[in-house]
Amino acid sequence: MKLINLAEIKPRPGTQAFFRWRQIGDNAVLITNLEGNWLILDTAEFTQFARGEVEADSELHGRLLDKNFLRSNYDIQAAAERVKARKYFVHGGPLLHVMVVTLRCNETCVYCHASRANMDAVETDMSIETARKAVDLALSSTNGFITIEFQGGEPLVNFPVVKEIIEYATERNKEIQKRLEFTMVSNFALLTEDKLQYLLANKVQLCTSIDGPEELHNAQRKLPQTHNAFQAAAKWIKRVNEAYVEIGLDPTLYHVEALLTTTKATLDKWKEVVDTYVGLGCKTIFLRPVDPFGFAERARLRLEYPRGKYLEFYRNAVNYMIELNKQGVEILERYAAIFLTKILRGEDPNFLDNRNPAGAGIGQLAYSYDGNVYSCDEGRMLAATQDDAFLLGDVDTPYRKIVGHETIRAMTIATNLDQQPDCVNCAYNPYCGTNAAYNYKAQGSVFGRMRDNNVCAVHKGIQDFLFEKLAENDPEVMEIFERWTTIRPREHFVQEPGAAAELAEGETPSAD
Amino acid sequence: MSTDNQTSFTDIPEAVVSVAATDRSVSMVVDSELYPLQAVYGASYIFIDRCYVFIDRPEPGKYRVTLTAKESVEEAEALRQLVGEYANELLSCAWRHQVTQDNRVAIETVTVQAIAGAMGEPSLDDLADFDFTDEALDDPLGIAQSWEDKHGRKSPAEKEQAKAKVPEGEAAEATEAASTEEASA
Repeated sequence: MKLINLAEIKPRPGTQAFFRWRQIGDNAVLITNLEGNWLILDTAEFTQFARGEVEADSELHGRLLDKNFLRSNYDIQAAAERVKARKYFVHGGPLLHVMVVTLRCNETCVYCHASRANMDAVETDMSIETARKAVDLALSSTNGFITIEFQGGEPLVNFPVVKEIIEYATERNKEIQKRLEFTMVSNFALLTEDKLQYLLANKVQLCTSIDGPEELHNAQRKLPQTHNAFQAAAKWIKRVNEAYVEIGLDPTLYHVEALLTTTKATLDKWKEVVDTYVGLGCKTIFLRPVDPFGFAERARLRLEYPRGKYLEFYRNAVNYMIELNKQGVEILERYAAIFLTKILRGEDPNFLDNRNPAGAGIGQLAYSYDGNVYSCDEGRMLAATQDDAFLLGDVDTPYRKIVGHETIRAMTIATNLDQQPDCVNCAYNPYCGTNAAYNYKAQGSVFGRMRDNNVCAVHKGIQDFLFEKLAENDPEVMEIFERWTTIRPREHFVQEPGAAAELAEGETPSAD
Repeated sequence: MSTDNQTSFTDIPEAVVSVAATDRSVSMVVDSELYPLQAVYGASYIFIDRCYVFIDRPEPGKYRVTLTAKESVEEAEALRQLVGEYANELLSCAWRHQVTQDNRVAIETVTVQAIAGAMGEPSLDDLADFDFTDEALDDPLGIAQSWEDKHGRKSPAEKEQAKAKVPEGEAAEATEAASTEEASA
């Protein structure tokens, strides 16, 4: 890309209101403003704008006026409304409550060491008493929406406690009346028909991990008995999707979603990854880079890669997904959907790791098997490596002491992009976020340094790609992007107070 | 740190950095006009898991930061990396210090809303633990009193009250003191 020479443009104050800018092509410059409006200008237009010399009766003037980029006509009220809409989550309180019901796991993954235990380590199971206290704490949240997410280890290993949490939370919610949901992240290998029927009856949303095609998945996720973790997951993805149809749910909305962990071995397999997900009936791929939590230094060398390589992988995979969409295949990339929702709709989908400020403590809490409570799941994983930086207390600690903890205040400030060098001047500021636990682990402080920060590199790279696509303005791609940002709420998964207990009695599931 | 063993890095100005290779430590001199002390503290703190960090002032207007690696550092290259990382972190901290001052109101507003929103209103149990006594307002040393209240001329009624409170043996001294006070006022 031929870089713009600002010395030639000679920018000076004039008709412009506050703006940030970033060159995204040879003849394309993105400008964004405080409230997240954006325009893509060609170099000549940007030169006029930067010099403050836009003619009042020009077409460019009209476009700038429409998006609130002109000082003389700056609509403060409209800007305030947009900022308010984008920041609706700030005062909401924790809605995601990650419950690690056990560290025991039946699979051994190459990127997960610290936050798992062998199957005989029963001392890493959450007790019924701890589980009830965790639920009490979660339901103390000020947020009217509560999602309890079962994690591990493998949560199906400690299924009695999963059931206890579901039934106790539902019972308590009769009185509290929050919008309560349950989700489970499982490798499915220990799923049985009885357990599935219980989870369906109690409206537990199911999610699994697929690391790509069968050979790659099995190389990264070792399942001792059958040595085929992929087939175990694939079998149950198919069965769960069938079961959703059996109970009358729309399969385009209700289906199992899967999470990808991108390692060095994944990078060349972008097409195979997408084809695998489509083949399994998934409508979403979340192309997550591997994170630095939970694995040893020697594993890092084997799994990690420069983020430039990841971004090449990302572009190839998403371009391929766009082509598939053009052919009628419904598949979206989660990162893209999160950013595009902010860019195109001016709304925040409240993805807790990518919002400003981030959700640690003020949007989520993580409850470890032993009753310790952390600001986020990454904080819990760090504790597994003997670093309690993000420990807030335990399930006996009063709720207000947990969320009022000084660590939460520090993380809230650290993930506020208005205090972050680089971010304050970045054109992507209105759509972006940083992760304090990642910064701490990778760069030694909750603030981090964005210039050499991997999360920043990924976020910038993905937004570069998306804005390049928006600059191309291909009607077919724009229609696909519109679809990716259309949020259809899955109302089925919202618990009706009282319903779960009745279903549990009626079904009397025998699992475990 | 001995200067006999110093090496220099070709890509870092010698006036800024000196290295004592045998000590496995590196010292940097930082201009206090360019970098606020808070930034020096912030950047130094990042290194305490890897290094022992010492800060002193070799001369007015300069900070000296000495990083001594906890694990053995065999090569000058590893020390150079420490210097480079420290310099980058220092710049980041200094710039964030400025940005934070510029945007203090916005940052505080968002933080207060986020924490207050997550905590919610205190419950009756929380209020039960709250200290409602006015002990915190007690002023045994009279710090909150005005000079006039504490040392100024007493009214005749106050003098009488003071006399009445003083035991007989001390009454004469009290009268004498009051007379002296009147004379000097």
